[in-house]
Amino acid sequence: MMKILALVGTNANFSYNRLLLKFMKKHFKQMAEIELYEISKLPPFGVDVPLEEQTEVWKLKQKVKAADGVIFSTPEYDHGIPAALKSAVEWLSYHTKVLDRKPVMVVGVSYGRQASARSQVQMRQILISPDCNTNLLPGNEVLIGGATHVFSEDGRLIDPAMRDNLEKCFTNFIEYIQVFQHVDEEEVTMPIKQPSISDAYIKFPTGRLSLKEVQQIFSTIPFEIDLIDSSDNFSWFSDKPNREHVRDVASLNEPVTECHPPKAVPGVMSIINSFRDGKRDVVTRPLWMHGHRSLIQYYALRDVDGHYLGTIEFTGNVEYILNLFENGAWDKGADASTGASKHEDSADTTATPVAETADASTGASESNNEGADEMTTDPDVATDDGADASTGASESGSVDADDEAADATTGASEN
Amino acid sequence: MKIAAIAGSNANHSYNRMLLEFIADQYQDTDEVDVIDIRKVPMFNENYKGKAPEIIADLDQRVNAADAVIIASPEYNHSITSALKSVVEWMSYEVHPLENKPVMIVGASTHEQGSSRSQVQLRDILISPGVNAQVYQGNEFFMSDAANVIDEDGKINDEMTVKFLDKCIDDFKVYARAINKMVADQAAAEDQKEAAKD
Repeated sequence: MMKILALVGTNANFSYNRLLLKFMKKHFKQMAEIELYEISKLPPFGVDVPLEEQTEVWKLKQKVKAADGVIFSTPEYDHGIPAALKSAVEWLSYHTKVLDRKPVMVVGVSYGRQASARSQVQMRQILISPDCNTNLLPGNEVLIGGATHVFSEDGRLIDPAMRDNLEKCFTNFIEYIQVFQHVDEEEVTMPIKQPSISDAYIKFPTGRLSLKEVQQIFSTIPFEIDLIDSSDNFSWFSDKPNREHVRDVASLNEPVTECHPPKAVPGVMSIINSFRDGKRDVVTRPLWMHGHRSLIQYYALRDVDGHYLGTIEFTGNVEYILNLFENGAWDKGADASTGASKHEDSADTTATPVAETADASTGASESNNEGADEMTTDPDVATDDGADASTGASESGSVDADDEAADATTGASEN
Repeated sequence: MKIAAIAGSNANHSYNRMLLEFIADQYQDTDEVDVIDIRKVPMFNENYKGKAPEIIADLDQRVNAADAVIIASPEYNHSITSALKSVVEWMSYEVHPLENKPVMIVGASTHEQGSSRSQVQLRDILISPGVNAQVYQGNEFFMSDAANVIDEDGKINDEMTVKFLDKCIDDFKVYARAINKMVADQAAAEDQKEAAKD
């Protein structure tokens, strides 16, 4: 179902505009899922507001990003939109592109006959300014005047003409959103003769992979990968099912400061900067996510000559591996370090698929061992490793661990 | 003349505030220019009814005490800043110091347009019934490319701009005197009518 975010355009405790949006939410429930947003939660816009006070702003941006369309319901104060609503729009257009080409609709209620007409004109002007650049629904004016007479006590819009108009306009808005969703980007770019790649192979020194194989390998391995490129933009994530961090393609190409909650930004930046400066190559974060044990590892991605290419975040549910370990999967192999013992291991295990997977994960951790000093497959050192990881976290400030938790919970609640 | 000059930005670095400070400095021999910094004014909210923050009383008193008002308006999204709109809302809710007050709008911007759209919008807002200011219509002062026109010490280093600003302010002062006289005459006439009734 279509997801619509509806901004209540005032910070007042009582508002007919809030009443209208609540009515729309109920009335149109078969057409769209309308979520009301209270702008009173936001700090007043200012270019000097510190990042750590912008958590609510970040949350709103995420909501706008996830919505198929946004409704602005505006009262009228002094021929204009309320300062509180203008402030919200300023947040949504300052160093962010969340409103860019977002389908939006303007509605409004007022006590007088003018029905917030002037403030709606102003709202429309603001929404098409270059920093907003929304796909504003043209026409379809929802002007609800005489607020005290047109709503019933239980908040229904009872004026039949106004209700008919609202139904017509909202249906048009939903169609308008669909028009943009159905634009086939390939069709649009065809006339400019963009080259594309098909059936190509990437040749590595160690063999070749087709593009499809590359994609499917990333979707199959039991860890998810996110890439932050060398200019600190979130540039790619692996399309693994049931990800720990749910990512949205809408966040791609955004600065990393934008796609994290403001409180987490200093922690993330300190990791990235230490990689860029060559101070560290890996940061390990064991933590609980969604009720199971997970491991997050950040790796510096470097060219063969050591030049910094970006940061990869490597995240996975390690419950399965830890269960294997706790059930003694490696106990026998601990004495004999020869390859032969591995084969004995797999012979011992009755179910072949399990043995294969175990083998595969050992292989993976071995290669980790080569790349990163902090990693080891030796069970004795495993506890040290844990300590190491937490030291790493405390180095970059004790807030880091909390922030990571914030990241996880926000991500969860967002979805 | 006593002039209240409201800087319409809550940013720590603001060319509009610098412009007003330049005006205050330039006219210190002839006029008393009180530059009002709105950084500490909270977001307007109807819920404050009957218990507006203290800073609003201060704002009211300073604007009331002035013979004329100059407002410097930046432009965000083709429109005035939420910070300035909030101040206007405070001054059209429980106190109305802008009522019948001669107001001139100026503006500086780092871009070409020099805040022209926000000035048009601010005019419309200031003449709304709740505000009811006497907005001066002539001599639009738009400063574009402010980053190059105003130097680090707040001096305007473009002779033509200073000359035009001089003209704007002189004209505005004439307008303000006329308006204040008109408003005083109207008030006196009202008083006389009232007295005649008694």
